Amino acid sequence: MEGKEEDVRVGANKFPERQPIGTSAQTDKDYKEPPPAPFFEPGELSSWSFYRAGIAEFIATFLFLYITVLTVMGVKRAPNMCASVGIQGIAWAFGGMIFALVYCTAGISGGHINPAVTFGLFLARKLSLTRAVFYIVMQCLGAICGAGVVKGFQPNPYQTLGGGANTVAHGYTKGSGLGAEIIGTFVLVYTVFSATDAKRSARDSHVPILAPLPIGFAVFLVHLATIPITGTGINPARSLGAAIIYNKDHAWDDHWIFWVGPFIGAALAALYHQLVIRAIPFKSRS
Amino acid sequence: MAKDVEGPDGFQTRDYEDPPPTPFFDAEELTKWSLYRAVIAEFVATLLFLYVTVLTVIGYKIQSDTKAGGVDCGGVGILGIAWAFGGMIFILVYCTAGISGGHINPAVTFGLFLARKVSLIRAVLYMVAQCLGAICGVGFVKAFQSSHYVNYGGGANFLADGYNTGTGLAAEIIGTFVLVYTVFSATDPKRNARDSHVPVLAPLPIGFAVFMVHLATIPITGTGINPARSFGAAVIFNKSKPWDDHWIFWVGPFIGATIAAFYHQFVLRASGSKSLGSFRSAANV
Repeated sequence: MEGKEEDVRVGANKFPERQPIGTSAQTDKDYKEPPPAPFFEPGELSSWSFYRAGIAEFIATFLFLYITVLTVMGVKRAPNMCASVGIQGIAWAFGGMIFALVYCTAGISGGHINPAVTFGLFLARKLSLTRAVFYIVMQCLGAICGAGVVKGFQPNPYQTLGGGANTVAHGYTKGSGLGAEIIGTFVLVYTVFSATDAKRSARDSHVPILAPLPIGFAVFLVHLATIPITGTGINPARSLGAAIIYNKDHAWDDHWIFWVGPFIGAALAALYHQLVIRAIPFKSRS
Repeated sequence: MAKDVEGPDGFQTRDYEDPPPTPFFDAEELTKWSLYRAVIAEFVATLLFLYVTVLTVIGYKIQSDTKAGGVDCGGVGILGIAWAFGGMIFILVYCTAGISGGHINPAVTFGLFLARKVSLIRAVLYMVAQCLGAICGVGFVKAFQSSHYVNYGGGANFLADGYNTGTGLAAEIIGTFVLVYTVFSATDPKRNARDSHVPVLAPLPIGFAVFMVHLATIPITGTGINPARSFGAAVIFNKSKPWDDHWIFWVGPFIGATIAAFYHQFVLRASGSKSLGSFRSAANV
């Protein structure tokens, strides 16, 4: 505010209750929409922050798979459900870990930890194609390593108890599984968009921890709902990591659901937020 | 968020300031009450932490013991135990963050020492206070229910059947990495300067990190990731089985904290390359 005029023109303030005096009185908006990211940005390839972000995504996804799949294995190995943290504990492991990890990596890479989130943000032009591909590759590698460590802890139980891999459960059709993955990922990515909305950040007192918290809760809630159906993917890297390390036919048979579903869900969330909620393309045309 | 501002000499300066490395020996702090207050705070916090968590563990085992009048699904469950650990860290870190930094864990103290955020004297005093607090906390639990305490394992950490020593060690290393890495992220001065820093909410992800690790590794080791916690229970329970495995709960957490300190300082913050860069260019953002 140092370089801004202090005086306020009468009637210029269109947001009387929320608008701090002296700012944005000269413009129509109290927030600034970041410009669309270019598809290719060669300059970022020579910046350490680009590779640091990729490393952060790798480590975050590694820890995510390690904690969550290890929790799943702990539940499966227990003599009964009450001698373990239970299905609710598994949901907490997924949601709580996303909360902690998004919090840790938000300032470094944006804290995606999920190819579907990266894809959704890419569609919304919030990161370049180069960065999106790099993130997705690092997420998948981290997931494979995370599941690999869990298998290293307990090779035989891992193979006999399903390896934490995502499959469509008995009694559900592949269509049901696909639908569950689409809507589940929509919930997650829509929450991500809401939590990172430039308009809301400018108007609410932006408190950094309160962005990861609803994202973590969204993951937790979707897991509560869809663990019985598919074990809940909504994260292609998570599904891929477990499938590769487990490497059985029935995991691979259903695996396409855990890429197609999340990517469709992310695309729908991106369309919904950008076109309906924020109507960004229509504004930029005016 | 480009908050760079023009310095007086025309060069860009950072909008945050990394505190200088803490000296290894700071004789002056020995003369200040704030050091002893911080040590007392760590002692009390660790005492309360062990009291609530170990009491939760013993209570669960009593209520779920079907041979002694309990029921299969009795008690708060393993999930409740994980909540006790994570939730207690959350509220205790919140209470003591402004006094001692809210470590409550020798591994956290060690990691912050490696990152030059606490002096050697302070680190040693904190660790001693944490271990003493842990012993007293578990001592209270035993005093309240001596026979139950002994019969149900004393809340001590040891390797579960079906897992080997290497697995337990790796679980402790990675688990402590998660915790200390979250602590570093929550206390990063760069983030504090750029985000509206609300101190009450920094302990929340730390508590959640502890909760998450407990969900994952309770079946393996009962989850140490806190040498004081393991030490306190081992001392009061005092059987050979926990002592046989006890080294895992110091070596693992200290290795995990070291890796987290290295990762945060040299990979994420790139402090080494930044100091090198300062010779080439003053535009050090």
